[in-house]
Amino acid sequence: MALTPETLPRHELNGLPVRIVESDDDSRVGLEGRVVIETTNTLSIEIRENGDSRVVMVPKSGSTFEFAITDDAADAEKASGTASKLADTQPAATDDSSAAADRAGGDAAGCRGDDPSRDRRHAAGEGVAYVTVDGSRLLSRPARRTETSGDSPWQ
Amino acid sequence: MDIAAERIERLHELARAAATEDDHDRARYYVRLARRVAERNRLALPRKFRRFTCDRCDAYLRPGRNARVRLQDGHVVITCDCGAHARYPYGNDDGNDEASEREDDTP
Repeated sequence: MALTPETLPRHELNGLPVRIVESDDDSRVGLEGRVVIETTNTLSIEIRENGDSRVVMVPKSGSTFEFAITDDAADAEKASGTASKLADTQPAATDDSSAAADRAGGDAAGCRGDDPSRDRRHAAGEGVAYVTVDGSRLLSRPARRTETSGDSPWQ
Repeated sequence: MDIAAERIERLHELARAAATEDDHDRARYYVRLARRVAERNRLALPRKFRRFTCDRCDAYLRPGRNARVRLQDGHVVITCDCGAHARYPYGNDDGNDEASEREDDTP
């Protein structure tokens, strides 16, 4: 179970490059960085610009996030670098694998959450896939998000 | 590999990267989260993760920077800056050797 568009809401968000595409607060729209700390209701995003970095805490509800995910081969390469390199390099990778993941995403998404239709995904070059997720789908305690128990409406 | 095991792997990388930048509090946060994920999903932590984290203060250990590594007779003692010791054996592959057995086992 690699990190794919459909597993993203259950996967680790820390360390992923993210951009805020929509928010209740207009000043947050367009913020771009890496997730460094996740809590039940917020994501802390580290933004690096002109050499200095700042950490912005963004509430999950009321925002729409666009995560950039890469395929595993590129990811391992990226992780072996230093953290500062992590922030500003988009590793090049094979284009077809992420496109395949994108197609596989289909409409099977929405393992949790009420509006899977908000999930849009599109591939861009360099083996990076962008996954748009409504923040309300991510509301969960970080350590518990992976679990699948409690999803069924049946008692 | 399921998602939980993969999350632990990612958190391990993140903790290592944070410790390399001397951001030990953030490394601690990743180590604690990885431990919690392992606990919730009933997974054993990878051996590398166990050997390079402190059981007492959850720091990610970087030998020479925030941990001391000493070899004793048949075991390694790794001491975190917080003062906690961890010991594990070294030697032949099955991990429960005694130093005197080593000559017999080597091919």
